[in-house]
Amino acid sequence: MKIERFDLIIVGAGPSGLSAAIEAAKHGMKVVVFDENARPGGQLFKQIHKFFGSKEHKAKIRGFHIGEQLLKEADDLGVRVELNSTVVGLYQDREVVVRMGEEVHHFKGDSIIIATGAAENMVMFDGWNLPGVMGAGAAQTLMNLYGVKPGEKILMLGSGNVGLVVSYQLLQAGCEVVALVDAAPKIGGYGVHAAKVARTGVPFYLSHTIKKAEGDEYVTGVTIAEVDSHFQFIPGTDKHFDVDTICVAVGLSPMSQLLKMAGCEMEDNPKRGGQVPIIGKYGETSVPGIFSAGDVSGIEEASSAMIEGRMSGVVASEYLGFISKEERDEELEKLDNSLDALRQGMFAPKNRGKKIENTEEGIHISENLLKKGYVADDEIERFPGVTHKVGIHPVIECTQNIPCNPCQDACSKHCIKIGSEITALPAVEADSTCINCGMCVASCPGQAIFLVDEDTKDGRATVTLPYEFLPIPKVGDAGIALGRSGQKVCDAVVTNIRTSKAFDGTSLLTISVPKEYAMKARFFKAAD
Amino acid sequence: MKNSDVIVIGAGIIGSASAYYLAKKGYKVTVLEKSDIIGDGGSSRNGGGVRQSGRDPRELPLAMYGIEKLWPNLSEELGADVEYHKKGNLRLGKTEKHLEILKKLADKASAVGLDVRMIGPDDVKEINPYLSDEVIGASWCPTDGHANPLKATLAYYMAARRLGVSYITGEDVKEIKKIKGKARQVVTQTDTYEADYIVLAAGYESRRIAGTVGIDIPMVKKLIECLVTEAEPRMFEQMLGTAEADFYGHQTNHGSFVIGGSTGFELYKKDNGTPVNYSDTVPCICRGIIRYIPKLKDAKIVRAWGGWSDNMSDGVPVIDTVSEVPGLILACGFTGHGFGIAPGVGTVISNLVAGEEPVCDISGLKYDRFYAKDVKK
Amino acid sequence: MGELKYRSKDIGEFVPQPDDDMIVCRCEEVTKGEIRKAVHEGLWTIAEIRRYLRCGMGLCQGQTCAKLVKGIVARELKVSPAELEPATSRAPMRPTEMHVFADETEETDL
Repeated sequence: MKIERFDLIIVGAGPSGLSAAIEAAKHGMKVVVFDENARPGGQLFKQIHKFFGSKEHKAKIRGFHIGEQLLKEADDLGVRVELNSTVVGLYQDREVVVRMGEEVHHFKGDSIIIATGAAENMVMFDGWNLPGVMGAGAAQTLMNLYGVKPGEKILMLGSGNVGLVVSYQLLQAGCEVVALVDAAPKIGGYGVHAAKVARTGVPFYLSHTIKKAEGDEYVTGVTIAEVDSHFQFIPGTDKHFDVDTICVAVGLSPMSQLLKMAGCEMEDNPKRGGQVPIIGKYGETSVPGIFSAGDVSGIEEASSAMIEGRMSGVVASEYLGFISKEERDEELEKLDNSLDALRQGMFAPKNRGKKIENTEEGIHISENLLKKGYVADDEIERFPGVTHKVGIHPVIECTQNIPCNPCQDACSKHCIKIGSEITALPAVEADSTCINCGMCVASCPGQAIFLVDEDTKDGRATVTLPYEFLPIPKVGDAGIALGRSGQKVCDAVVTNIRTSKAFDGTSLLTISVPKEYAMKARFFKAAD
Repeated sequence: MKNSDVIVIGAGIIGSASAYYLAKKGYKVTVLEKSDIIGDGGSSRNGGGVRQSGRDPRELPLAMYGIEKLWPNLSEELGADVEYHKKGNLRLGKTEKHLEILKKLADKASAVGLDVRMIGPDDVKEINPYLSDEVIGASWCPTDGHANPLKATLAYYMAARRLGVSYITGEDVKEIKKIKGKARQVVTQTDTYEADYIVLAAGYESRRIAGTVGIDIPMVKKLIECLVTEAEPRMFEQMLGTAEADFYGHQTNHGSFVIGGSTGFELYKKDNGTPVNYSDTVPCICRGIIRYIPKLKDAKIVRAWGGWSDNMSDGVPVIDTVSEVPGLILACGFTGHGFGIAPGVGTVISNLVAGEEPVCDISGLKYDRFYAKDVKK
Repeated sequence: MGELKYRSKDIGEFVPQPDDDMIVCRCEEVTKGEIRKAVHEGLWTIAEIRRYLRCGMGLCQGQTCAKLVKGIVARELKVSPAELEPATSRAPMRPTEMHVFADETEETDL
C-alpha cells in the first residue's frame, strides 16, 4: 500500500469543487479533484438554462457553459481532475481512499475540501415506490445528459426553482406537463421561472399535494387533492390526471457523510437542508485542514456554490502558507461582496419562510404570481419595467427582487436601469431609445423581457418574445397567442425570427396580434 | 436520590441480559448507559458468533450452558427474532502450524466435554463447498452457531423494559460510592442513584469506574473492525473462523455477510473520539476472505464499522462479586468474545445478586486472579 | 436527548394508522408501521431503529429514506427531527466489491 500526497484534495468536481481547485492552483498548490461521475461539473452539465446574478457570477451564461469554462480554467492551471473516482472514505489524518477502476488507492491531503453537493429528497405518498415516480433532478439527468425523455405525460410536485426549471425543460424536451403541484400555499421559486411555465399553459395547483400514484406495475395516473393549513387533505377536492411519470422536486439534502465520517462536528439545520458541518464563514470545519464548500454545507444555488468554493480555496491556500494572511483577507473581501450581492433580495437565505408582501421599491407583489404562477393582466402595470410609449420598447415583467442584472448591461442604449443593487427591479428609462436589437430579451435568464410595438398603425401590434422550443416557427406561420396564464388570447402570426450567436440559443420570435392584445400576448403556439 | 434494588452500569448485551434476568426474578433494576444509544459498544460491533470451540476452558461452561439452555429458546423468550442458528463452527487452517494450533484448542475443549474434532479437507469441503483448496483442515464443532448481535442486544433491552427495567441513556457514570463499607451509590454527571447491588458491565469504561472504589481490572482497549456486504444468495450456515484469526464471520438471515478481521495492529490503533475505521483494515479482511472463500470476491461491501473491545491480560472476562466492595458485581473484560456467552452471563449475574449458586462454573473468572506470581511459593 | 433519556417515559400507545403499510425504506422494504411500532417498543434513536429493522442499511445506505425515517420517529416521540442524531457515517460511501478493496497495491499515475 502506498499513500500519495497532495497539498489539496478536493472531493467533488461540481461548481464549488472546481472553483476551489482553481483558486488553490492559482496560488501554487498541487491539487487533485476526485469525482465519482464520468463527467465533471456536478449538476452544471445538465443546467441548460441561463444563470442569474451579475457578470462576476457568470450571469446569463448557461450552466453547462459555465462548467466548461471552469474545467478549462482548472486544466490550464494544472489541476488534476480525476473522474470515475469514488471516494469511499475520509479517514484519520486526512486520508482519502478512492476507488479508481477495480482498485482502491490511498491519498493524503495537507488540506481537504469536501464539495460533494446534495441529493434529492423524497416524499411519501401512496404508490411512491412505483416505477415512474422519480426525482426532478433524475428526470433532468435523463433528458439533458442522456437525451431520454423521462415520460410523455408528467406531473411535477414542487414549485421551488428545481421544480419550475425542470418543468420548463420537460416542456422543451417535448413532454406534456399536466400540472405543477405544491402543498405550500405559494410558489417557492422565482416568479419569472413560474411565469415562463405558466404561459405555456401548465396549470399550477398550490395548497395541493399527491394523494396517490396509481398503477399496478408502473405509474398510470395520479390523484392530487387540496390540503388545509395543517397539510391535511380536504375531502371532496380530489383531482385525477392520467400520467406516466411523476417528478418530485421537494428539496435537497446535503451529502455530508464524508465530513461526518472524518469527525467534523455536525448539526441538523433545517435552514441549510439537513445534516451539515458546523463551519466558519469560509467553510472551515471543526477538524483543522478540512473545509467544505457548496451545497454540502447548506443548500443554495450553483452561483453561490462557486463563490464558496473559491473562498475555501483561498482559505486552504493560506492555511498551508501559499499566500499571506493579508493576501487572503484581500481576496476574501472581494468574494464576500460578491456572495453578499447574491444573497440579497426576497429569496435571500435570511428571508426564508418569511412572508414578503412588497418589493424593496414598495410595490405590492402579485398574488396571482404566488398562487397561479403568473402576474395577472391588471397587476402587471404597476411594475417599473412595464411602461408604454410609441414605437418598439422593452416591457420587463420582472416583479420580484432577485439578484440579477444582465439586462442592464445588455442594452447598449441604456434603456434599462437596475442600479448598483442587483436585486432592484429593472426600470425602463423614459427618455431612452430602443433600437430593437433584442439583446435584453435574450439576456434575461427569467425570459421576462418582451419587445413590444403597441401600435403598428394597421390595427395590430407586435410582440417579440424569447423562444427556446423546437421546432422554431417560420415567418408566416399562423397560430395562437397565449396570455400570461397560458390561455388563448387571440390569433397570431409570426412576422420575424431572429437567431444569433449573441443570443446564445434563445430565438427571438416576433408575432403580430390585434393591437388590443399587445400587453396580453406573451407566448406563441403554432396551429396544429 | 433514585432507588432501585440493582443498578446495572452499561446497556450493552451483558448489561441488558443481566437486567432482564434480574427483573425476571423480581428485582427493581435501573440501567445507566453513557451513550444515547442502547448497545452501542461491542454489542453492535461483533461477528455474532455463538460458539464454544476456541474458547478458554475457564469461560467454556458459560458458553456451553447458554447453547444448551438459553439460545435455543431465546427468540421466543424475548419476543423478537434473534436469528439464532446452531449449524456449527469451522475453524480453518491453511498450514500444518495452523492445524497444530487448532488441535491444541480442540483437545483442551474436548477435555471439558465439548464435542469438537479435527477434520480433513474433504470433510471441510462437504460441510462448506465454497471454501478454497488452500484450506487443508479445520476444527469442527457441530453445536456452535451464530445469531444477530444487533437484534439480540435490542431484544434483551426491549424485554427488560417490558418487565419494568428503567433505562437511562446519556448517563455518564463518574464514580461508585461506598456507604458504610458497601457499594451503594452511583454518581453520574447529573444525578446520584442508589441500590443494594451495582453490576458493572461497561466494557472498557469499567476499568475507570471500578477504580473509583479501588479495584483494578487489567485490560486494554483494542480496535475491532467488521464489514457487512449486500445480501447475497444463501451460501452456508456455519460460523467461520481461522487459526490465524485473520477473519471470522457468517451469513445472516438477511443474506449479507458479517465478517470481522484484523491487520495485526489493532492494539496500537489510535482513537480520535469518532467511530473509528482504519483505511487498511477492510482491504486486509477482504484479502483474507477471498483466499478462503473465492466466490465472495464480487460481493459488495456496504458498510464497515469499528469499535473498541475490552481486552483482559489473560483473555477471559471478570465475572465475580468483589469481597472488598460488597454489593459490587463485575461483568467486564470480555476481550471481544462476550456476545455468545451473554445469556449465560446475564443468568449468572442474576444468581450472584440473589446469592444463589451460579448455574455454571465461573470460578476461573475471579477478579482477584491478577497478581504477579510469588516465586517463593 | 432531554426527557427522552428516560426510556420508561410514556409516549402513549401505538395507534394504527391507515398508511402503516407504506414502504419507507425501499432497499430493505421496511414499512412505516414497523418503524412506528419499534418506537413504541422502546427504540428511540435512529441507530437502534436501523439496527433492529435494517431500514437505511441497504444498498443506498439511507440516502433516500434517512430523512423520512427521522420524520416518522420524531413524530412518534413528539420531538423535532433535528433532535434525533442521524446514523453514523461509515465507509464505504458507495457499495464496493471485495476484490476492489483487496487490490490496493498498484501506484497511480497522478
